Amino acid sequence: MADPAVMGSGSLNTGNRSTSSKTSTSPSENYQLARRRTLQVVISSLLTECGFESAEKAAVETLTEMMQSYISEVGRCARANCEHTARSTPTLSDVVITLVEMGFNVDTLPAYAKRSQRMVITAPPVTNASMVPKALMTGQKRTHPPHIPSHFPEFPDPHTYIKTPTFREPVSDYQVVREKAASQRRDVERALTRFMAKTGETQSLFKDDITAFPLIAARPNSIPYLSALLPSELELQMLEETDSSEQDDQTDTENNTNNMIQDDQGADKENAVLPPGGGVPAGKPSEENMIDNPYLRPVKKPKVRRKK
Amino acid sequence: MTAYLCLMIVIRLFNAWLFVYFLTTHQVVCINNINFQRKSVIGYVELTIFPTVVNLNRIKLNSKQCRIYRVRVNDLEAPFIYNDPTLEVCHHESKQRNLNYFSSAYTAAVSAVDPDAGNGELSIKVPSELWKQGDEMKVLKVYIEFSLDQPKGGLHFVVPDVEGSMAERGAHVFSFGNQNSTRFWFPCVDSYSELCTWKLEFTVDASMVAVSCGDLVETVYTHDMRKKTFHYMLPIPTAAPNISLAVGPFEILVDPYMHEVTHFCLPQLLPLLKHTMSYLHEIFEFYEEILTCRYPYSCFKTVYVDESYVQVSSYASMSIFSTNHLHSGMIIDQTPLSRRFLAQALAQQFFGCFISRMSWSDEWVLKGISGYIYGLYLKKTFGVNEYRHWIKEELDKIVQYELKMGGVLLHPTFSGGKEKDNPTPHLFFSIKHPHTLSWEYYKMFQCKAHLVMRLIENRISMEFMLQVFNKLLSLASTASSQKYQSHMWSQMLVSTSGFLKSISNVSGKDIGPLIKQWVDQSSVVKFFGSFAFNRKRNVLELEIRQDYTSSGTQKYVGPIKVTVQELDGSFNHTLQIEENSLKHDIPCHSKSRRNKKKKIPLMNGEEVDMDLSAMDADSPLLWIRIDPDMSILRKVEFEQADFMWQYQLRYERDVVAQEEAISALEKFPTPASRLALTDILEQDQCFYKVRMQACFCLAKIANSMVSTWTGPPAMKSLFTRMFCCKSCPNIVKTNNFINFQSYFLQKTMPVAMALLRDVQNLCPKEVLHFILDLIKYNDNRKNKFSDNYYRAELIDALTNSLTPAININNEVRTVDNLNADVRLILEEITRFLNMEKLLPSYRNAITVSCLRAIRVLQRNGHIPSDPILFKSYAQYGHFVDVRIAALEAVVDYTRVDRSSVELQWLLDLVQNDPVHYIKHKILSMLAKNPPFTKAAESSLCNEALVDQLWKLMNSGTSHDWRLRCDAVNLYYALFGLTRPSCLPLPELGLVLNLKEKKAVLNPTLKSDPDPEPEEEKHVVIEPALSCVVMAPQGLKRKAETLLGSSPEPGQIMQEEPCAKITVKTKEEEDIDMETVHDSQAFIYHHLNMLERPSTPGKEPSSVEQAILSMPGTPMPLLSKESMSSKHGDHHNHHHHHHHEHKKKKKKHKHKHKHKHKHESKDRDSHAFSTSPASGRSIRSPSLSD
Repeated sequence: MADPAVMGSGSLNTGNRSTSSKTSTSPSENYQLARRRTLQVVISSLLTECGFESAEKAAVETLTEMMQSYISEVGRCARANCEHTARSTPTLSDVVITLVEMGFNVDTLPAYAKRSQRMVITAPPVTNASMVPKALMTGQKRTHPPHIPSHFPEFPDPHTYIKTPTFREPVSDYQVVREKAASQRRDVERALTRFMAKTGETQSLFKDDITAFPLIAARPNSIPYLSALLPSELELQMLEETDSSEQDDQTDTENNTNNMIQDDQGADKENAVLPPGGGVPAGKPSEENMIDNPYLRPVKKPKVRRKK
Repeated sequence: MTAYLCLMIVIRLFNAWLFVYFLTTHQVVCINNINFQRKSVIGYVELTIFPTVVNLNRIKLNSKQCRIYRVRVNDLEAPFIYNDPTLEVCHHESKQRNLNYFSSAYTAAVSAVDPDAGNGELSIKVPSELWKQGDEMKVLKVYIEFSLDQPKGGLHFVVPDVEGSMAERGAHVFSFGNQNSTRFWFPCVDSYSELCTWKLEFTVDASMVAVSCGDLVETVYTHDMRKKTFHYMLPIPTAAPNISLAVGPFEILVDPYMHEVTHFCLPQLLPLLKHTMSYLHEIFEFYEEILTCRYPYSCFKTVYVDESYVQVSSYASMSIFSTNHLHSGMIIDQTPLSRRFLAQALAQQFFGCFISRMSWSDEWVLKGISGYIYGLYLKKTFGVNEYRHWIKEELDKIVQYELKMGGVLLHPTFSGGKEKDNPTPHLFFSIKHPHTLSWEYYKMFQCKAHLVMRLIENRISMEFMLQVFNKLLSLASTASSQKYQSHMWSQMLVSTSGFLKSISNVSGKDIGPLIKQWVDQSSVVKFFGSFAFNRKRNVLELEIRQDYTSSGTQKYVGPIKVTVQELDGSFNHTLQIEENSLKHDIPCHSKSRRNKKKKIPLMNGEEVDMDLSAMDADSPLLWIRIDPDMSILRKVEFEQADFMWQYQLRYERDVVAQEEAISALEKFPTPASRLALTDILEQDQCFYKVRMQACFCLAKIANSMVSTWTGPPAMKSLFTRMFCCKSCPNIVKTNNFINFQSYFLQKTMPVAMALLRDVQNLCPKEVLHFILDLIKYNDNRKNKFSDNYYRAELIDALTNSLTPAININNEVRTVDNLNADVRLILEEITRFLNMEKLLPSYRNAITVSCLRAIRVLQRNGHIPSDPILFKSYAQYGHFVDVRIAALEAVVDYTRVDRSSVELQWLLDLVQNDPVHYIKHKILSMLAKNPPFTKAAESSLCNEALVDQLWKLMNSGTSHDWRLRCDAVNLYYALFGLTRPSCLPLPELGLVLNLKEKKAVLNPTLKSDPDPEPEEEKHVVIEPALSCVVMAPQGLKRKAETLLGSSPEPGQIMQEEPCAKITVKTKEEEDIDMETVHDSQAFIYHHLNMLERPSTPGKEPSSVEQAILSMPGTPMPLLSKESMSSKHGDHHNHHHHHHHEHKKKKKKHKHKHKHKHKHESKDRDSHAFSTSPASGRSIRSPSLSD
């Protein structure tokens, strides 16, 4: 769950998880604090078991630290062993081998576990519900079909892969939809043009009431043909949606112009040395496809010879 | 340098250069500097010329508006004279204001610089050191340095007023002109028949591209690396008028299919260019295939420029187009238009650029062939229906023009010295030169030329036709590859006789009569046909009458095809139209039968079921067509019963027949016609243009049937069925224009429906709301194509629905008393117009429609009439379509409100607007919709206006041939041929009507205008000498007869007068230039004419005596022989004698029309020839040495 890589001993400590849901700190921090507290309790009980009446805080802390390191090391090695055998989840034998390698006599363990004076530490209360924020449940989850074992994960919510049911039936009456779209567009256009007319210069058709049918004033444009000929962005967008073949064409054009630009640049560098028409530099990959057009040829440098 | 400017002196020119004294073999044009800021150009030309006469001492070249710094001939400085009589046609002080006078003076002025007659504005004196060389016929190199400063013609600079460098601003310059206009931007022999090879060099800013004719050999940086020089070579002999140039920061697109073809457009338009050009290769392939000839030049360039002069202009290996043809793939309507322009341009590359013409009178061959092969391209690309529709449209156009204006003559001949030879006396302009033609006439000329080519094709078959073209082309291309040999290159020039010879060689057929009828003769044929069926004989009695007396008509004699559709099939009959036979009996093949159910075979072999119940029971005739193939240039008015037209519309498969039937059905508003039209509308196999036409016809019929009409308004249910949703019929489907035919129909139907009227003559409310709903529910989101034209037509539909407002007591139109429906319309228009500012539509089509709508609202009295809005849209800086729509509204306002302020504003724009096309449009719109006419009194018609217009055509438009003719056109529309009636009464005259041999008062004094001024010859008799003022003609002809010249090159005859006269000229110059400034005055002396200014309104004292109205300034009575001889060049001199000689005779027969005419012609020609055109008279030091 949280971050086993950081903890290193996640697999072992799962059971020890405790929560202090009251604190306002983040869940991972809470988790760390709770584990630490549990370890301190363990150390303290061990000390009691060994007959100590009291202990300095620093000593307890040191012991706790040692304990944590030891358990972490066991966990790490166990995991390494398990991965070595191409598994992902450590088994008991992995842990046993680890303990053996660390020089621990495993045989003494059952006896130690069954010692009489041992103290039982109550498990920290687990409040799992609050940990997993409840996902939005929509619709019925699908149950597993018979050929999938039940332990496999559940299907996700149907809306994530089938459809999202909405709460209201849409208006499917064509007439109403068209009506609405039309009036919406008209309202937007009218509001927009009115706004433009109010904020800018206007012309009027009537002398008595200048505000009656305001016309946005005609403003001459220094290059009038551009706006008149080029499709607006809106139209271009629509075109892209409806037709993709056009796009291919356009990329072709770009390639062409790129070629040209490259030529020009090439021309600047390696000018008149080349014979006319042979202006294509040797390294060009597209040499065979090159179009021999006089307008694409490099511009020559002026001849200096004459001056000499 | 300035010292050389002083050399530009003005003298009178020799008028009768009859021969070409030299041939140009090669010309170098080098423009070293183009300054966009100052709009100036500096460069030089070098002509390699080859004298064809010994002792060539003078070289005449064409050059207008260029400032010439120096001229060198073979490295020797040469003196030169610059005189351009076309700058000011009639001299300043002249008070003549009639168009006849102007026209002849203008024609003479153009003749005086006509390179085909060896004339030119620039006369260079060959240094005497080189005269010897001339003897040996060595080549001469003429080197001329020149500059152009703010050229008004020839070159057009477009420099947008924005931030940035010239390249960033999209500044560009290009050459333009009507016919021979290259002289406007460099000195040359500006003739279509003078071919030479070219070397062209242009040094331009490094960020610019110079596109010109021929092959781009190399591009070299200048030493400072800030400029580039483009070197072009044109090894194919080419005439100077076919040379052009375009410089700008163009984006370059190499044609992906043909790498030798390069396209250029202004910055940011490359995607549009790419789309527009994507089919050019198909046009190339088509032409090369039919002509079995490769494209003659090694490369081809297309340049798209802003503010273009014409839509398309073709030059050797390049064409210049208006940038407004570029379009994206979303635009439907522009696509066929742009393709047509490309096809036209390319056709002219073969015939017009590569093959040039021998003389102006051979122009029809070039225009005809290029128009004809363009037609073949249309047929192949757009289909036979479109082609036939186009032919019909063109035929209708030419017929309409000729019937209205008089004939269009394709091949005028100007031989002989008689004034009777004016081949087109009905016209108010001369057709002797391309520069004197009205633009509309020239358009009709082109239209007629290609129609005549089609007639020739009909006669000799297309195969032979193409063989002829191929022959012309292959001869030319053989010639073009030859080194300079004078006789070889002439193969590249086409002449009428050569073309006809080719035809007869190839086809072996004699097309003489055809040529005589349509080429050598103007006018069209007008037929009236009717028929009766003779049941007894089972014969169709067809009567075909002709009207050949009204203007623009001629008599036709020869075969005519008649197609008769009978029950048993369709039969062609060829009848002979002869002098006296009107009636023709055509035997019918089938008996009438009603009850038999049998399929009826059509012309194309198809068999159809017909409901024959509408037929006449006794007759087997379904329909009759006269000249179905349009093989005569004619108008046919044929009478047949309404059911026959209906059958023809439904079952005849030829679109021309269908269209004829539709226009005929307008006269038969019956339910049967309605049904036939509705059926056609619904039939999607039917050609869409026929269906569109049917819409308008249906609207007309519905209006005629308004009292008996049943059911919903015409076309409404049809439109609903075709274009509206099934579930909710009041809502139109979302736009999907994938089917172009239904797109065009969808566009047209509302426009036609809006023409419907109810019994109160108002547009039915139902229709109006239907159209408003179409606008409301219009939804283009899912459409691949733009709906701008569709929306524009919906606005047009709203406009069509408008009817005049009911105006009580002439109240002022205010918002409050606005009609409710009009308010709705106005709201839509306001919204559309405002949205255009935010999301402009392609070519601002919607703004254009909105402006038109607003003008119609004004004219119908719904909103106050006010030109301010239109004037703001007409400003420079709006898209050209918008400007023209706005100007059209101002022109209309000017007429309706008789506003002199607006008229003045328009005329100012004609003088000052930067865009030539706009100037041209203003004048032609004014001529089409004149603020007043000769017939009606108007407060606008005053002396100041006459003077202003006179000045405009006399000197204000000297930089643009087309504009000058437009001005003449307008002058004609306003005042007619005679002296404008608003002028103060001329110094009274008595007028002799020579035709009717009676004396009448000067018609300008009469209040009612002369109905046919061109028919009557008014002659004002000058009291003492009986000298006559008449429509003058060109002088040259006269001179020819006088000199008794037969045009043989190398004739020495020239020398003598030349040599003598040069001596004289030197002396004369002093007197001429210093003492006599008014050339007019000087002519009058010359002709011994007496002028007396007289007071207006003076009564004629007697019948014999009349006082001539002449220039207001009193003339000294100097009529001595010596005086006049001093003024003349050799030519004038001769004339003078001639005149004297004539005068003696005249005393006896002074009423003889011809003689009178002669005299007056001479006189007026002198008028021009002696006019110091540039207004400056500085003596040339170089000439007086």
